[in-house]
Amino acid sequence: MIPATLDYHRATSLEDAFEALAEPDARALAGGQSLLPMLKLRVARPSLLVDIGGLGLDAIELTGDELRIGALATWGALASAIELDSPGLAAVAECAAGIGDLQVRNRGTVGGSLAHADPASDLPAVVLALDARLELRSPDGERSVAAADFFRMPYTTALEERELIVAVVVPVPPSGSGSAYVSVEHPASGYALAGAAALVRSDATTSVAITGVGGRAVLLPEGGSLDGVEMYGDRFAPEEYKRHLATVVVGRALERATQRVEGAR
Amino acid sequence: MSQIGTARPRIDAPDKVTGATRFAGDGHVLGLLHARLLLSTEAHARIRGIDRDAALAAPGVVAVLVAADLPLESAGGDRTSEPLAREEIVFAGQPVAMVVAESAATAEDALELVSIDTEPLDAIVDVEHAMSPGAALARTATDDEAGDDLESIHAGVDKGGADEEEELSGNVLDTITRQEGDTAAAFESSDAVVEGTFRTPWVYQAYIEPQVATAWLEPSGTLVVSTSTQGSFVTRNALARAFGLQLDRVRVVAEPLGGAFGGKFALMEPLVAGATLALERPVRLSLTRTEDFQATNPASAQVTHLKVGARKDGTLTGIEARMIVDRGSNAGWGVEGITSLLVAGPYRWEARDLRGYGVQTNRFTFGAYRAPGAPTAAFAVESLLDELARKLDLDPFELRLKNAVVEGDIGVSGNPFPTIGTVQVLERLREHPLWAQRDSLPENEGIGLAAGYWPGGNEPASAVCRVDPDGTLTVVTSAVDMSGVSTGFVTIAAEAFGVSPDDVRVVTADTLTGPYAGASGGSKVTYTVGTAVLRAAEAARQKLLLAASEELEISPDDLEVVDGEVRAVGAPDRSISVEQIARNTLRFGGRNEPIEGHGGSAQIVGAPSVAAHLSHVRVDPETGEVELLRHVVAQDVGRALNPALVEGQMRGGATQGIGWALYEELAHDEDGRLVTGSFLTYAIPVAEQVPEIDTLIVEVPAPDGPYGAKGIGEAPVVAAPAAVANAVRAAAGVRMHELPMTAPRIWAALSSSAGEEA
Repeated sequence: MIPATLDYHRATSLEDAFEALAEPDARALAGGQSLLPMLKLRVARPSLLVDIGGLGLDAIELTGDELRIGALATWGALASAIELDSPGLAAVAECAAGIGDLQVRNRGTVGGSLAHADPASDLPAVVLALDARLELRSPDGERSVAAADFFRMPYTTALEERELIVAVVVPVPPSGSGSAYVSVEHPASGYALAGAAALVRSDATTSVAITGVGGRAVLLPEGGSLDGVEMYGDRFAPEEYKRHLATVVVGRALERATQRVEGAR
Repeated sequence: MSQIGTARPRIDAPDKVTGATRFAGDGHVLGLLHARLLLSTEAHARIRGIDRDAALAAPGVVAVLVAADLPLESAGGDRTSEPLAREEIVFAGQPVAMVVAESAATAEDALELVSIDTEPLDAIVDVEHAMSPGAALARTATDDEAGDDLESIHAGVDKGGADEEEELSGNVLDTITRQEGDTAAAFESSDAVVEGTFRTPWVYQAYIEPQVATAWLEPSGTLVVSTSTQGSFVTRNALARAFGLQLDRVRVVAEPLGGAFGGKFALMEPLVAGATLALERPVRLSLTRTEDFQATNPASAQVTHLKVGARKDGTLTGIEARMIVDRGSNAGWGVEGITSLLVAGPYRWEARDLRGYGVQTNRFTFGAYRAPGAPTAAFAVESLLDELARKLDLDPFELRLKNAVVEGDIGVSGNPFPTIGTVQVLERLREHPLWAQRDSLPENEGIGLAAGYWPGGNEPASAVCRVDPDGTLTVVTSAVDMSGVSTGFVTIAAEAFGVSPDDVRVVTADTLTGPYAGASGGSKVTYTVGTAVLRAAEAARQKLLLAASEELEISPDDLEVVDGEVRAVGAPDRSISVEQIARNTLRFGGRNEPIEGHGGSAQIVGAPSVAAHLSHVRVDPETGEVELLRHVVAQDVGRALNPALVEGQMRGGATQGIGWALYEELAHDEDGRLVTGSFLTYAIPVAEQVPEIDTLIVEVPAPDGPYGAKGIGEAPVVAAPAAVANAVRAAAGVRMHELPMTAPRIWAALSSSAGEEA
C-alpha cells in the first residue's frame, strides 16, 4: 500500500499545470478518490503527479439557460447546490448525492471522475441524458466536446495529452421538464451495476442514458430502447441479470422523471 | 449494590476512541527492519527456483528470505511449520518469499524485483470434484505423518447394519460419521420429508486491524514476539516447537487486539520470528488489507446435503446430512467434526446419519471464524425446518419448541446436554411484537425465524488478584482482551471482593509473567478465566478478612466487605478501610501476608448458549435486492454480567450473520485466484445496510459459571443467516440454497420459480 516512487508538483495555474504535464508519464491529480488507491496498489505508476487541486475551477453557476459546473466541484458541493434545485436538473444532484460515502463526496471531483471514465461510474449517464458539453483546455487552447463524443472505452476518453477538463456545461432543460437518476449498486463498491438517467420534457419527449452495463455509458434512442446496447456480465452479476436490470432502472428513471414533470405543474 | 447486571463502559474504550492504544504495529523498536511478503499468484505449482539477486542488490534491502533460510526444526505442512512455501505452492496468496529491508517502502519496491520460477500443477478449486475418486491431489508432496496412504482412503461407514465403503480421493483428509437409529425407517414413518443442498462460500473475518507482528532478540538471546493474537501461550508453544527452542527462550506478548474473530492464531509470528532468528535484527511484518485478504485463514466453504422428516404433530423424526468442508490447504483440522454435530441443531431426533468430510483444495488455508462450522449447519437445518413447518402447516415456533433439547437429553455427541435455554429463548422471542405482524405485512415483505446454539469451550485457567496500598485491585490474567472479556473480569472481581469497579484494573500479562490462560476463543473466557478471577478475588478477600480480623480483633466470620471497607457484621462503625489494611500490610515490618489471591478453574461441564432470531425483510421483486427492515435476536447468556457488553456481542454476531446471509463471499476463478480480494469487491454489511437490531437477553444461569455467566460471543452469529433466508422465503416465495443471497441470485431464483409456475 505504498505507491512506487514519484514526484509531486502542486500547480499554481493552468499554464503551470500544462508545463508540468509535459513530462512523460505525468498525471493530473484532482480529488484523488480513484487515482490514490490505484497508486497505492501500484496499478497506476506515474512518474509525476500534477496536483491541480489548488486551481479553483469549482464554481457551480446557473447563467440563464446553462448550468456550468467547474471541474473541481466536489460531489458534496454538487449534491447540495441550490442551483440544481429544479425538476429538470434533479438528476445531477441525485447522482452526486449517491456517490461513494461522505468522505469520497467531500474529496472526489466531477472533472476527476469524468476524466477517469470508470465504465460503472454514475455521472456519465447524467451528462449524456442532459446533453451536456465538456469544456477542455490544453496548451493549444480551448475546445468543447459533447458528452456523447467524450466517453470512448473503459477508462478512455476524448481527452488528448496535456488536456484537462475545466467545466461541464449542462443546458438547462426547458421549463416543465423533469429528470432523474436511478441505479442499482454493487453492495461492496457502490458502483452501478446498472444506472439510468432520464430527462422527460414537457412535450413528453425523453432522453435516456445508461451506465454500468458495458464498456461505457451510452445515450439510448428516443423512448429508451436498450436494443443493441453492448452489455457484459461478470461473476457477481451475469449478463442476463444486467440486461434485466438495465430495463428496470430505465423504467424507474423515466417514471421518476415523469413524476417530477407532473410535480412541476 | 451488586455489580452484576449493571451496564458499564468497556475499560479499553477511552484509549481506543482517543487513539491512545498502542497496537502491535505501533511500538517503536530500535533498529527495526520491515518485512514484506511475496505472495504466490498461482494456486498450485512446484517451485523451481527463486531469483532474488536483483532485490538483494537494491539499496536498503537486508535480506530476501525463502523457506530454507528460516531456522525451522519442524516438518509438516501447517502454517507454523511452513510459513513460506517449501517446494510446493498450495494456494494463491501463499507466502513464498520475504523481503526484509530498512523501510517498508524499500521492501515493497524490492518485492517487485523477486521472481519465482514455477512449474504449474492442476489447481483443485471445486471441493466436490476434489473428493471424487481419481481427482488430482491438491497437495502432492506429503509429510512424514501422512505418507503414501494419502493416495487414497476409504471411509468405513456403518449404515443400518450393512457395511458400506465409500471410495474417496486422497484429498479427503478426514471423515466423520455420527449415526444412531434407522433414518430410513424414520423417514418412512414421517408425514413430511424435505431435503436440499446448501452451499456457503469462504468468508473473511474482516477484523479492522490487519495481521501484524514484531519480533526481536533480547541480549540474552530470548526471542520476544509482540503481536496481534488471540492467544499468547498457544503462540509461544507453536513457535518453540517450530524453531526447536526451549519454552523459556520464547516470550510472546499479546498486544491490544484490533479484532480477530478466530483468525489470529500464529500466522505472522512464525514469519517474523524466523526472520529475526535468521538475521538477528528486530523485524516487523504488517499486512496490507490486500495481503490480509489473500494470505490469511478465512472460514471454509461448505456444501451440505440435508434431509429431514417430521410427523403431523411436529415430532422430528430422522436427519441425514452429508457435509463437505473445504479446508483449503489446512491439513491439521477442519470443521467437519463440529458442523456435523451442530447440524442437528438444539433439537431431539429419533434417528440420525450425519457425515462430515474434510477435503483439501487449493483455496486458502482454513481458519476459525466466530462459531466455526455453525452458521453453515444452521443455514441448512433451519431452512428445512421452515419448509417442514410449511408442509405440515405448523407454527415455526411450535415445531421447534416441540423438539427443543432440554438438560439431560442425549445429544449427537452421545453426551447429555447440560443446562440449556432453548425453550426459554424461543418462548421469549415468540412474544416479540414483530412476530405478531407476520401475517399482516405489505406485499414483498416477510419475517423469518431461526435458532441455533454454540456448545461453548473449556480450558483450565488461572488468575491473580492483588490489592495495592491505595486499596485498589489489580487482576492479572493472560487472557487476551477480546470482545470485552477484561471488562467482565472487572465486574466479577469487584463483586467478589467487595469494592467499586472503578477500583479494579485488569492487566493482560505475557507468557513470561502471566498465570495460564488459553486463547481467547470458543466462547470460553468468561466461563473459565472469569471463574478463576472470581476465585482469585475471593482468595484475596479471605486474606483481607484475616488481616482485618487482626486489626479489629473480630473473627473473620463476623466481618464483611462493603464499599471499600471491612466492617463488623451488624456494627458498621467498627470498620477499617481496605486501603488502610493494604498500607499496613505492604510495608517494611508489616505483619500480614500481602492481600493477594490466586484462583484457578478447570471447567468440565460445557455451557451452551442458544440464540434465536427474527428477521424482517423486503425483497424487491424486480431487482432481487433484499432490504433488512428489522432484526431481533434473543439469547440465553446465562447471566448478563454487563448487559451493555452482552447486547454488543448479540448485535455484532447478528450483524456478521447478516454479512454471511447477504453479502460476503471470497470467490476464486477456475485457476484458484481470488477475485473478491478487496473491499471494492468483497461486501461486508455497513451501517446503512444494517437495521435496528433488538436484543432480548434471556438468563438461564450456567451452574458452574461465575455468577451464572457463560461465554456468549459465538452463539448470536449461528442462526442469523438462516433467519434472513427464511424471511426471504416468506417475502418472495423462493427458498435460497446458497449464501450469500445476492440480488442476482434472488432474481435468478424468482425468474426460475416464475417459469415453473407459468
